[in-house]
Amino acid sequence: MLLRASGPTHDRAYDLGAVTGVIDGDGGVPHGSLLVAFAEAVLGDDDVALIRARGAVQKTLGAAGLVDAAGVVGLFNAIDRVADATGIPLEPEKAAASADFRAALDLYRFAVAMRT
Amino acid sequence: MPELYSSSPLPIRDDLLAAHTQAWERIARPGTWWDGTARVAIAAETRQASHSALCRRRKEALSPLAVEGDHDSLGQLPELAVEVVHRVRTDPGRLGESWYRSVIARGLSEEQYVEIVSVIAHVVAIDTMAHGLGLDPLLLPDPEPGVPTRRRPAGAKPGGAWVPWLEPADAIDAEAGIYPSGRPPANIMKAMSLVPDEVRSFFDLVSHQYLPGEVMRDFAHEYRAISHAQIELLAARVSALNQCLY
Repeated sequence: MLLRASGPTHDRAYDLGAVTGVIDGDGGVPHGSLLVAFAEAVLGDDDVALIRARGAVQKTLGAAGLVDAAGVVGLFNAIDRVADATGIPLEPEKAAASADFRAALDLYRFAVAMRT
Repeated sequence: MPELYSSSPLPIRDDLLAAHTQAWERIARPGTWWDGTARVAIAAETRQASHSALCRRRKEALSPLAVEGDHDSLGQLPELAVEVVHRVRTDPGRLGESWYRSVIARGLSEEQYVEIVSVIAHVVAIDTMAHGLGLDPLLLPDPEPGVPTRRRPAGAKPGGAWVPWLEPADAIDAEAGIYPSGRPPANIMKAMSLVPDEVRSFFDLVSHQYLPGEVMRDFAHEYRAISHAQIELLAARVSALNQCLY
């Protein structure tokens, strides 16, 4: 995953707990908790939470940052559907790089159970 | 078609506006396996799926296959196409190969299936962004007349996915440009290669709504108002929420 790959360039080690939801902090990513809350709100059903998260992102990252954040959330909400609907396998190098991450999400067991 | 986002209080980048305009116009045109009327109907059904009581009950069930019933559809598409649209839109993380095989066995062609998935993906990408920004969903375009080209890449064959795909070495001139040069394409790029025009269109959206392929790993420079790390955190959190293995 590119989050982990981007870390060394900026001498940072990102905590993937922010991705899996096991920590509430930024995970080492500037304003990470705001962005996680925004992604969760966009995909969720709580309109009040979305209004609050949207406002927080715009106040902190600006209107352009909000637009780019919403674009990324939308795009990956679509990419996930392409991947799931076509049954593409994970490339070996990506599987190796994200094994711990997927284990944390229990995704591997889930996916194998569903697809066999 | 009226200019998209003309009343948006937020600054939509010019390149993103152009990409969305192009994607929206393309939905209305005849595709490779569906005509413009059907493609706009797929887009409308994608939105309708969010309101389907059957999909909601299936989503809440331990297994979606345990819940039978009829979809609350708009009635503009064959029942099998409606089933695909609703399942892919509302419960993608629990799609299985046996379900895909059953859809094909019941009469939907592999090529029609891939094009449906692509139209859903275009609509979900654009609608989810609008929802995130608090904007009204874009009005669907009026269908354009014409017939699908019905061209399947001669080199497409079974690979690692449920759907057949096109390896770079098997691509001919008609499929030129669907893959990056100088590096092997990721499987997500090959996923819809049974319908090359859909790869071109969707990855144009990827370039503008996420990042162009050539800069995805250029971590020394930033190309958006948010950083690479912030972009990847959002992407990874969305995929985790969707329980997407890929």
